[in-house]
Amino acid sequence: MDIFLQQVVNGLTIGSIYALVALGYTMVYGVMKLINFAHGDMVALSAYIGLVLYTQLAGLGFIPQPLTVVLVFLITALVIAIFGVLLERIAYRPLRTAPRLSAVVSALGASMMIQNGIMLVWGPNILIFPADILPAISWNVAGVTITFIQAAMIIITILLMISLTLFINYTKMGTAIRASAINQDAAKLMGINVNLVIMIIFVIGSILGAVGGLFIGMYYRGITFNLGWVYGLNAFIAAILGGIGNIPGSMIGGYLLGLFTALIAGYVSSAWAEAFTFILLILILIVRPTGILGERVAEKV
Amino acid sequence: MKKMLGMSLMILVSALFAATAFADTIKIGVQAPTTGQYANEGQGIDNATRLFAEQYNAKGGLLGKKLEVFTCDDEGQAMKAAICAKELVNKGVIMVIGSYTSTAALAAQKTYYRAGVLQTTDGTSDDLVKNSYWTFFRNYNPNSAAAVFTADYMVKQAKFKRIAIISDYSSYAQGLAAAVTKETEAIKGNIVYSGKIKAGSQNFTPVLTKMKSLNPDVIYFAGYYADGGLLRAQQKQLGIDAEFIGGDANDNVDFVKLAGAAATDAKIINVPTPDMLPYDLAKTFLADYKAKYGKDIPSIWALLNADGLLAFLTAIEKTGSTDTKKLSKWLHNNELNGISGKLKWDERGERVGAAFMVYNIKADGSYGVAFPK
Repeated sequence: MDIFLQQVVNGLTIGSIYALVALGYTMVYGVMKLINFAHGDMVALSAYIGLVLYTQLAGLGFIPQPLTVVLVFLITALVIAIFGVLLERIAYRPLRTAPRLSAVVSALGASMMIQNGIMLVWGPNILIFPADILPAISWNVAGVTITFIQAAMIIITILLMISLTLFINYTKMGTAIRASAINQDAAKLMGINVNLVIMIIFVIGSILGAVGGLFIGMYYRGITFNLGWVYGLNAFIAAILGGIGNIPGSMIGGYLLGLFTALIAGYVSSAWAEAFTFILLILILIVRPTGILGERVAEKV
Repeated sequence: MKKMLGMSLMILVSALFAATAFADTIKIGVQAPTTGQYANEGQGIDNATRLFAEQYNAKGGLLGKKLEVFTCDDEGQAMKAAICAKELVNKGVIMVIGSYTSTAALAAQKTYYRAGVLQTTDGTSDDLVKNSYWTFFRNYNPNSAAAVFTADYMVKQAKFKRIAIISDYSSYAQGLAAAVTKETEAIKGNIVYSGKIKAGSQNFTPVLTKMKSLNPDVIYFAGYYADGGLLRAQQKQLGIDAEFIGGDANDNVDFVKLAGAAATDAKIINVPTPDMLPYDLAKTFLADYKAKYGKDIPSIWALLNADGLLAFLTAIEKTGSTDTKKLSKWLHNNELNGISGKLKWDERGERVGAAFMVYNIKADGSYGVAFPK
């Protein structure tokens, strides 16, 4: 039983990252009907920027450690948000009325550009986050080991999701986002600034992705320029699993995918875990193409 | 017409003179990638060879003859290697050091065999000893030797009772894991778990958690350092109290960085780095190398090639001959002390005896030797 619970904790940890990244895909898709392939690479970029910031801030020496970590999160989120807005301006806005395929190709191009840009700036070798960013505390509850960072990841992710849900459902901007998701033209006629809405979407998606990227760096420690593909792909599957375009769907999808891979790897075969993930994707697409929550909620986002 | 004849006669005579003048030297060929991505290694091999030549010449040469070194850059490529082989044979070398890569060594091997030129290389490919050429001497152990050594260490030396073996999907890691599994089972080792991880996937906790329930006392990882470091970190994080042994691809400074504090007491099996060789011959050689070139020898591979050369030169000294047939016979039947330990060859040109060591990573990230003591 403790082995099972341990797998669940492991699954929730990785699921948090998937859920955070999946939200970026799903929100953009909800409003723009575009799969932002560059999102995974933004996640990778945030890990690199976070590492640079941490080294610089910690190098100053006079900022207390907890404050440094908070600053790293805030500044990285800000920088990635700016990158997200730039990405939308440069790669997607000129193509908004173009056929959808053009936008997808543009997204792939942006993805490659960011990925190679990271490689050119920081080099192709693995970079490593210091081990002492977060305290190395771990608790042992009934045979299940949970570390400080795992707990922090799960709690912060859940808090972010609650805030996002409240924001989407109970604020004016949230309503505008939901309206734009249903029908952009009608939203414009109602006086909603759709360009602003799309910008906000990219800002929120990028911030969540940045948090995910920093989690990857701090938890797994080693980062490579192409890590965006690995996490991007899994998060994308999570988004489809939950119903792409649907915010609670991506959250559930992320955690379900994390649990699914952990349990498959633990009880069936670690070698086949990846294959089972894709089999699950195919099954979902055949049996329930709208994803788990795709049907119940009428409006997208 | 007469003038032409006279000229050609003169050329012929001078060529003959030149040939006799050259016959007074012992010609050594270096076939190594002195440019390109392996330039560092290739230059190390070239430098080591020239260092030996200089040292022997300072003592008056061998059998009263000076040593002369010819270098050909094969860039680590098969095509260039074949051209180099022809070039060196035409220059009349009796022995060739190199190349660094198996590919380049393999491409040149047959040319040297046909010309009766001795060749020594560190290439690990099994194909190199397939033909049992009498001219061929491998100065490093093949891939399978690592597995024999690892299995022996785990089962007989450290006496582990519950062994877990993990690899990734690369042909290198799968091959190594399969070989270690085979050798471990051959000496009745108890393997409780064997699994594979996807390189670069970073999250290895599912595999480790499953392994935890099987309670292994050692985890052997056959893959690369980038995954090995994380695997070790996550193993400790999950509270799995087993020894960790990494294959040679874990021998990288980033392993320690990735694993952080968990790196302490992890073990790595590899051939020793040059500075860890305990022999006097090695210490002298490394000091001489540094004195001449102002830097350390790039790797153990350049050093192993130098060891091959040392064996050839010793053979000339002992037999008093430069007849490669005689030298080859002597090398196959005698044992000598080299820079990297005992040098001995079987009839296929395979170096006998493994040069491997088990390293223990200390708290400060440096290496200590755990085995052999």
